[in-house]
Amino acid sequence: MSAAYKLTELAAARPGMALSEDLLDRQGQVLLPKGAVLTAAMLASLGRHDVEMLPLVTGGETEDADPGAIQARLDHLFRRNERDNDDDWATGILRRYVEDYRLAREVAP
Amino acid sequence: MSGLTPESLAIGLDDLPSLPAVVMELLGSIDQEDVDVSVLARKISYDQALTAKTLRLANSSMYSLQVKVTTIQQAMTFLGFQTTRNLITAVAVTGCFPSGLCPGFDDKAFWRHSIATAACARVLARRVRLNPDYAFTAGLLHDIGRLVLVSKQPQRYQQVIERRAQQDCDLLDAERALLGVDHVIAGVALAQHWNFSDTMRQAIAHHHDPETHGAGFLATIVHVANAIVHALDLAREKEELVPAVSSVAWTALGLNEEAYLHVFHETDMQFEEMSTILMA
Repeated sequence: MSAAYKLTELAAARPGMALSEDLLDRQGQVLLPKGAVLTAAMLASLGRHDVEMLPLVTGGETEDADPGAIQARLDHLFRRNERDNDDDWATGILRRYVEDYRLAREVAP
Repeated sequence: MSGLTPESLAIGLDDLPSLPAVVMELLGSIDQEDVDVSVLARKISYDQALTAKTLRLANSSMYSLQVKVTTIQQAMTFLGFQTTRNLITAVAVTGCFPSGLCPGFDDKAFWRHSIATAACARVLARRVRLNPDYAFTAGLLHDIGRLVLVSKQPQRYQQVIERRAQQDCDLLDAERALLGVDHVIAGVALAQHWNFSDTMRQAIAHHHDPETHGAGFLATIVHVANAIVHALDLAREKEELVPAVSSVAWTALGLNEEAYLHVFHETDMQFEEMSTILMA
């Protein structure tokens, strides 16, 4: 089943868009497989891999691009973590890091 | 190693599936000094499905090979025997259990979670300078006991799943209540049947409770990798839940936020690729 696709400049790609083909590097190795859903972190990394154009599936960006939806999902995933429970502090830290990652927040050095 | 309990025997943990003979031979070669690698490579090559997927993994971005490998022998030359053996084992394990036996059990979600944990464990292991191949295998196998229980008792496991959903209780508790054994015991039994090392068995046995005396550092890695994978939502299960992270384990890894962000990113990237290959 092949979806309609468009070759898009990296700068124009957004989190939530999906690849319509395997994305290969200069040596022909697969960087990301067909169907991979792009995250902000992946897009940043691709820039460092000298990637300029991406074959993207057109139409229907997923709701993952919406920060509110992302936060709601994270709250659901971490529903057993009580923020004020001192014993569960490691889970709380993981929660904060994953929130920073998914919401592409700036991380203090 | 202690004998099986009556409950384990009742479930049928004395009669477990085997990996393909050549893979068992490969695993058995761990302790041998003078392994004839080319003979093993040739035997593996006779299994085309096993070979094809192994080579796809070898040529994936996990290893950044300059040259594309086209035979098992080549993979062993460029990646080394250990790494190649690991890849072969991963492919064999993922092909070992039939799917669709239990309607409430999502086989695809199970493998997505296991493959993601394997990827994450590998990434973490490299950070703390532990054998990444070993961690990869441990991550892949950590919940394999669930597949054992599902294949042995599909109808009763359906009840386990329903009970857990209704009572919102721990999976281990639901398994013990309805089956008399849990997926940790079943997983350890399988690891022993497949002749995996003590370290591997301990990692499977204690990935929920890595603080246990004698659990070993591999258990810590798998424990944290498991939590990360749940938090990254990679299995795409609706009722996904992040388990409590052991603060002892978290402290033992000693990584800062910047390191974890890299770990999340690498896990994300490698998981997409690996699951495409392994679940094809």
